[in-house]
Amino acid sequence: MPSFPHSTAHTDASPVSDRGPALRARTSRLSGDGAGAPLISLRDVHFAYPGAVAPDAAPASPAASQASGFVARDDTGTDHNDGLEALRGITLDIWPGEHVCILGGNGSGKSTLVQLMNALLTPTSGTVEAFGYNAADPEGAAQIRRRAAMVFQHPDDQMVTSIVADDVAFGPENLGIPQPEIVQRVDAALAAVDMTELAQADPADLSGGQRQRVAIAGALAMQPKALLLDEPSAMLDAQGHRAVQRIVERLNRRGIAIVHVTHFMDDALAADRVVVLERGRIALEGTPDDVFARRDLVRSLGLEQPFTLQLADRLATHLPGLPLTGKTDALAEAIARAVFPQGASLPGTADRGARSARAEAMSSDDSSARAAHPNASAPKTARDRQDDAIVFDHVSFSYADDANPRKRRLFGRKRSQHGVRHVPLALDDVCLTVPRGSLTALIGCTGSGKSTSVELACALKLPRSGHVVVGGVDTSDLERRHELRSQIGYVSQLPERQLFAETVLDDVAFGPRNLHLDSAEVDRRVHDALTAVGLDPTPALLGRSPFALSGGQQRSVAIAGVLAMQTPMLVLDEPMAGLDPAGRARMRSLIQTLRASGVTLLMVTHSMDDVAELADHVVVLDHGKVVAEGSPRQVFEQTPCPAPGLPAPLAFTRALAAHGVALHPAPLTLDDLVTALTNLCKEVFDHGATR
Amino acid sequence: MALRVSIGQYYSATSPIHSLDPRVKLVLTVVFMVSCFFVGNLPTLVLAGAIVGLAIALAHVPLGRLLAQIRPIVLFLVVTSVINLFFVQTGDLLVAVGPIRIFTGGVEAALLYTLRFFLLLLAGSLLMLTTQPVALTDGAEKLLAPLERLGAPVSQVTLILSIALRFVPTLSQEAKNIVAAQTARGADLENKGALAYVRACVPLLVPLFASALRHAENLGRAMDARCYTGGEGRTHYHVMRLDARHDGLAIGVMALYLVALIALTILS
Repeated sequence: MPSFPHSTAHTDASPVSDRGPALRARTSRLSGDGAGAPLISLRDVHFAYPGAVAPDAAPASPAASQASGFVARDDTGTDHNDGLEALRGITLDIWPGEHVCILGGNGSGKSTLVQLMNALLTPTSGTVEAFGYNAADPEGAAQIRRRAAMVFQHPDDQMVTSIVADDVAFGPENLGIPQPEIVQRVDAALAAVDMTELAQADPADLSGGQRQRVAIAGALAMQPKALLLDEPSAMLDAQGHRAVQRIVERLNRRGIAIVHVTHFMDDALAADRVVVLERGRIALEGTPDDVFARRDLVRSLGLEQPFTLQLADRLATHLPGLPLTGKTDALAEAIARAVFPQGASLPGTADRGARSARAEAMSSDDSSARAAHPNASAPKTARDRQDDAIVFDHVSFSYADDANPRKRRLFGRKRSQHGVRHVPLALDDVCLTVPRGSLTALIGCTGSGKSTSVELACALKLPRSGHVVVGGVDTSDLERRHELRSQIGYVSQLPERQLFAETVLDDVAFGPRNLHLDSAEVDRRVHDALTAVGLDPTPALLGRSPFALSGGQQRSVAIAGVLAMQTPMLVLDEPMAGLDPAGRARMRSLIQTLRASGVTLLMVTHSMDDVAELADHVVVLDHGKVVAEGSPRQVFEQTPCPAPGLPAPLAFTRALAAHGVALHPAPLTLDDLVTALTNLCKEVFDHGATR
Repeated sequence: MALRVSIGQYYSATSPIHSLDPRVKLVLTVVFMVSCFFVGNLPTLVLAGAIVGLAIALAHVPLGRLLAQIRPIVLFLVVTSVINLFFVQTGDLLVAVGPIRIFTGGVEAALLYTLRFFLLLLAGSLLMLTTQPVALTDGAEKLLAPLERLGAPVSQVTLILSIALRFVPTLSQEAKNIVAAQTARGADLENKGALAYVRACVPLLVPLFASALRHAENLGRAMDARCYTGGEGRTHYHVMRLDARHDGLAIGVMALYLVALIALTILS
């Protein structure tokens, strides 16, 4: 039996003993063998990384701390003696055919746990047994690995060859499977992840989501009984994330046990069981509904609730008795029934009226848009362009002209024109504006030209035709390049990867020093920037190597390095990628603080919820063209929606409308949705009372 | 946008040359390249040229693509031929302008050495264009397998080659990202002095090394998870079977060429 570190977790009747027999019944149904033994079983497992001995000892390589996700320290930089252990007494069983999600903040020990299950790591104490083999025994470890396949966070780091099918074959080749069977396995595995057409492609040409599917196919080709996934969607866009989640659920239905480490709470809703780790211990365990019902505990563990549960919770005071469910439709139906009990209705919003009101809301006019969002920007035509921070004026860009030696003019003009025609423009006649003082979100699918636009805005590339004007300076004006650099800051994707200096101080000071500021000013800016990102600029921190920090702290330091330049404009390329819920919340509040201080922000993001929460201007790109520009409301309410997804509250509003509850104007954020529903309840109540 | 490597730039097509067994193609190309050094007069040059011409004609690869592969070495070819032209002083004197004296031997050497080297390069680049890198490393592994028994880590080395090819686009993209990020932070990469330049590169090289180490570590773990334990007991996804007619014909043509080359060399 596991020992729960939190007494609070005890109160929820020990979930393991309760669920054991039920799961066993379920699994025997699934696998049909009726065996009552768990696939993988951990008993009082402790694990400590050899590198995590002394507080200031740097790990063997910067990669070590990042790849494993943590050196057991918390975010304030203080160290606890027991914190040196990544795992501190884990007892856990994985049953055949089960779908388990493992949640927890950065540094809670999730990655370590799955690597122990796969015998990639061996426990410092305690036992790991899987498929009847002991993981501590090298022969057993090999046997375990061929039955429990693993998929990691970065698809790039899992591929060994430059042809998709050959990569999928790598596992079976290692197992010594006869050649004709390898061919069958490769075909079946690629079909299972819908990648048959791209079997001969080069992984370098695929999107992140496609590459991760290849990695899953590579794991499947080993015909595992269990699939261990270590944050497979952390680096993917919404589309890739959905595809991976769909495939995972499909594989589970085929009887493969799934252990899925994730930072996305919605992934966990599909699981049979959720295990929450905190500082190397199991803090909470149970069905997704049971676990997420414990709102305060979930939050204190650095997690968040899935959207539907947050909503039900927030509505609890006005609409008591809503089910705590992860299913959008079930909740929408329950709300509809609670709002209009026994056919109560508002004048003019009877069933028929409700539907027309919904249609109206979707084609919502500008005035209502502004009423709901006071910050919503006026249409582009009405604005003085001189006042905009960043202006793209008929900008086109092609990688053919850029740095691709293959496509350079070779033997005569004709060839080169021939080559150019075959390369689609990365940006095609793009006109967009980033209003001064706004937070503009740049959205679109993989390959739509977002990153290219960002690099053009930062004068890291020059347009093939058209002009990019940043703060009144044309990016092609080399004379004023220095002036431009002091105007716009650039936080790249995974900015922690650009850390280089020996100390945190030197790294953060790199930008300001390049601006040739005096040392007192540099020091002041370093302190301000570190404080802004939530790090205490103590001499101990300033003197530390950035590579010895935890993953989350590294990102904070890297962002501080850009903030220290104190540019009036800032470009953020997917600042939330790979962060845990607590990290995402910190990033959101940092962005809001920057906004409030008057910094103009251009943010590339995959999260439509972040767009709805944070942005006041949205630009949607698709295949190098601007397909929509305006306030979040203007963009999301267009049909068909040009954005690659909808914010969860808006999607939920549509589900509500299908059940006869129309909200006008349609709320885009959770706060707005809660307010709208609360007001509606009051109205219905008042109406009922007067009648 | 992934940047691709210009070596090993496979050109996808179906042709008799593409479908040759990679081992045969590799061996024949190496044999031909060596034979180029024995091209010593006009008839042998024509003979070698004919073989390359035949292969190119059969390969369905655009000539431009083929020449593009060689482009970086053209300057080297020009320089060597000019050196030959001026410094080989045999045969009859053709031109004498001041100190510059050009002999027939010089012209002959300039043309012959340059052209035979050109043919050698064409053969090599044709191999790269018509063979997938993976097939090439697989072929090399099979050919060198006997050395495994002597203790040479053949399959490891070929896997390393395959991984290296696989990571070139990844690392070059990362290098570009790092340059972009540090340039935006005001890193000045156009410093004049050598020392200043080295110093300016630190913000680029440190993250790049860190990134390479991270990839190595993650990849090692992923390969462990996929049960890679070295060459022993591995099977292969691709079977290589010699096709008596197809591969045999290619070997026959090459054998005839070698006989003719030897005959012509002895005769002259």
